Amino acid sequence: MLTRAQLLEPLAAHRTDEVVVTTMSVTRPWGRLSSHDLDFASADSAMGHTADLALGIALARPDRRVVCLNGDGSMLMTLGTLATIVGCGVTNYLLVVVENGSYEITGHQPIPGRGRVDFGALARGAGFPRVFGFDDPAAWQRAVPDLLGAPGPTFAHVLVEPTAEGPISRRAAEEARYLKVSLAEWSRIMRAALVAS
Amino acid sequence: MKRPPSPAILAVLQALEDAGVTHVIGVPDNTSAPLFDSLQEHPGILLVEVTREGEAFAIASGLWLGGAAPLVVVQNTGFLESGDALRGTAVRMGAPVPFVVTGRGYAKMEAAGLGPETPRTPELLTRADLDSVAFMTEPTLRAWGIPYETCRRGDDPGAAVARLVLQARSGDHPRALLLTAELA
Repeated sequence: MLTRAQLLEPLAAHRTDEVVVTTMSVTRPWGRLSSHDLDFASADSAMGHTADLALGIALARPDRRVVCLNGDGSMLMTLGTLATIVGCGVTNYLLVVVENGSYEITGHQPIPGRGRVDFGALARGAGFPRVFGFDDPAAWQRAVPDLLGAPGPTFAHVLVEPTAEGPISRRAAEEARYLKVSLAEWSRIMRAALVAS
Repeated sequence: MKRPPSPAILAVLQALEDAGVTHVIGVPDNTSAPLFDSLQEHPGILLVEVTREGEAFAIASGLWLGGAAPLVVVQNTGFLESGDALRGTAVRMGAPVPFVVTGRGYAKMEAAGLGPETPRTPELLTRADLDSVAFMTEPTLRAWGIPYETCRRGDDPGAAVARLVLQARSGDHPRALLLTAELA
């Protein structure tokens, strides 16, 4: 099982110009590691729709890799998106499901089927050509360059330890740059950066 | 065997091409199916078929973020399903996503001499000869703050789609076209 730092630090170390979309309990930890214009927090927005929003970016910019750090509870809300991703034929998309087994930011209520749902099997069943599971920090660290570099779509599910992240807000006092402004304001910043690049 | 596109479909396709729409995202119904069929192998517009309508609004919002020009096409039943996806992505992001909502149940409603403003009583909403979704669509569009125009039988759907895309782009909010006419 990985800590949040063991999950995110290798990604931050190898990230170059990829778009990174976060949600729920990785939103703040990622924002502490990165202040890139191409980071997007969908944590305060539509429940379960982070993976499909990231898919839209990947479709718009096939020249650029998109990494989505999704929650396991969020993934269960829109499992159909797995089929949509595969059906689109995108190759520039890495979907990471962060498995903590709970709705962490509302107080660790267990997700439905905790410990019995096999996310790798769900992704394989939807047709993902590259599916990986990780519960060892060293194996994850070794795999990150390939996950970011090889053609996908790629699905990775990673067992992580619970943390104590509370509800996400958008205000100047938030540490993460992408949480200091409204979602609309950040969307304008990110769109300008993407369109210009 | 596929039928050739109707004049209405050709008009909508022309409007999409002229407006530079890059992606059409949605779930087909009996009204929109001919449009989806015509887009299957379109050289310039990518069709993205989703498993549930809420996905369409999130994907379209991501497409807008990436600089693309999406159009969402869903039935009014799927529109009702999409509430939090629409609110949490396009509305909150200020993404001017245009979307077409096809009007299931409108023909039955109009044949019964009723309209979208008819009071939504339990008796009305459970009548076997009516489809309750027709009575809920426009009140929901208004409740969610979505500006919309209606394209009825006899109207020009190509011109209506062209106006939809143009008007959406001039703002920072999603905008709808309620399509109660048939396209076939």
